[in-house]
Amino acid sequence: MDVTMTYSTQDLWTWWLAVYLYTGGLGAATLAVTFLTDMYLKPHRNLVLWGAGAGVVLLALGSAMLFWHLLHHVAAIYILNPLVFVLQPHAWIAWGTQFIIWMMVWGVLYALPYARVTSLFKNMPVVNKVLEWDPVIKLCDLVTRFHKFVGWMAVINGVGVAVYTGLLLQSFPAVALWANPGVPLLFTVSAFSTAMAFLLLIMYTVIKDAADEKIRVLYERIDLVLISTELVILFSFFFYLQRGSESAMRSWELLFTDLGWLIGFIGFGLIVPFLLELKGLVKGWTSHVPIITASVLVLMGGYLLRHYFMYAGVYAYPW
Amino acid sequence: MTHYAMVINLNTCVGCNACMAACAMENQTPVWDTHKWRTYVHDKEIGVGTDVHRRFFPRLCNHCDNPPCMSVCPTGATYKKANGIVMVNQDQCMGCGACAMACPYHARVPITYADVAKGREFYGSDYRRTGPSMDKCSFCDHRVEKGLPPACVETCVGSARMFGDLDNPTDPVAQMVASGVARPLMPHIGTRPNVFYIDDLKWRG
Repeated sequence: MDVTMTYSTQDLWTWWLAVYLYTGGLGAATLAVTFLTDMYLKPHRNLVLWGAGAGVVLLALGSAMLFWHLLHHVAAIYILNPLVFVLQPHAWIAWGTQFIIWMMVWGVLYALPYARVTSLFKNMPVVNKVLEWDPVIKLCDLVTRFHKFVGWMAVINGVGVAVYTGLLLQSFPAVALWANPGVPLLFTVSAFSTAMAFLLLIMYTVIKDAADEKIRVLYERIDLVLISTELVILFSFFFYLQRGSESAMRSWELLFTDLGWLIGFIGFGLIVPFLLELKGLVKGWTSHVPIITASVLVLMGGYLLRHYFMYAGVYAYPW
Repeated sequence: MTHYAMVINLNTCVGCNACMAACAMENQTPVWDTHKWRTYVHDKEIGVGTDVHRRFFPRLCNHCDNPPCMSVCPTGATYKKANGIVMVNQDQCMGCGACAMACPYHARVPITYADVAKGREFYGSDYRRTGPSMDKCSFCDHRVEKGLPPACVETCVGSARMFGDLDNPTDPVAQMVASGVARPLMPHIGTRPNVFYIDDLKWRG
């Protein structure tokens, strides 16, 4: 069949979906990292509360964004069914919704014993009453007893959310930029990189505990590795798109001729923070400002990646 | 087993758009927004200088055997009948739009609360839609069940649209597909579509 092709981007899933993917990846990875730190590196009440809080708030924000844009809000009841991923095993939104719900449930449970002994929650009206309620105290005892099991359930679901954000885009076969195995990898690495940046930002500006120096250095090193990995994946995307199908080449043109992508995301979102963190690792900084700056830039870059990915997906229509 | 398919002959489509109108009235689509019609006839000029012709290219849901819109649907609202027709359960569709993102044929359209309200005014008491959803062509399933062809096929003045059963070797549609004269769009994507096109360009050259 000889066809004359028309190439087009889409306007159905735009910036708000990018926000959903961004907050989903960031919140889930933050929760996973803080819980793993608490379980295996150093018990850390503040970090866990920040991780669980960020996980729940960011995921709720992203999910609200998606829910707001649904055409038929009542029908959303179908994906709340815990067996939805058994009924719809190919639908990543079905998996993602369950990962999000269970990550929040296990995340709140894991943080509950810490919340009970935190003055912020002890002085909060209503919340303080709930925390002193008998069933909640028994629940806290149970969570403390099965500390690692609860932690791992939250971590597994958190990682599931981070990977899901990429798998969702990968399941759209018509767009070369999305329908490839590099996308889940890129989005997962980016999710954990933004989580590291977020936690560094919190640890340098809010928690500010000198005893956390080892954790901060470890996070900086992990972030450095993650940013390098992201750059390598983007390097492969560059060649995959440039010499790929027409859909791929048009996405390449949209991305790699755009200053927001080149300078905003790759330049300021990846390379500058990479250099700042590398200098910190090799020679050290006398101030925390460069690492704080790097963290802010990584967080900004994480959103830009998803924003550009949504807008640069090109459909090839045979008419 | 019946396996419904459509063949569209681009040589005989004159671009009258009667198929669009028939479909819109039959299926009560939002006629006030051409981006939300279940079928659409694209009008394209091909060639240079004096050697130019207009190609009318009708498009609709391809009722794929491997429909990506169905596999990404989180609620199970999109489903495939045994006769090959891909359907949407309006009440079960939450309108996330994943089907539209997955469809390579631009065949899924959003019907909003505003469209439903306007539909009630426009179509009056006959209006069948109960709520918003991602809409699509159903090959006029309600007509096909009564032994009638889809509205677009029945109304086509040039007989450009033909509807038939791929599993019936005596059906002209099955014969055109089997002979290779009618071919699917973008088969490399793996959707295994059931709408086939007879080329016009090779006869014009």
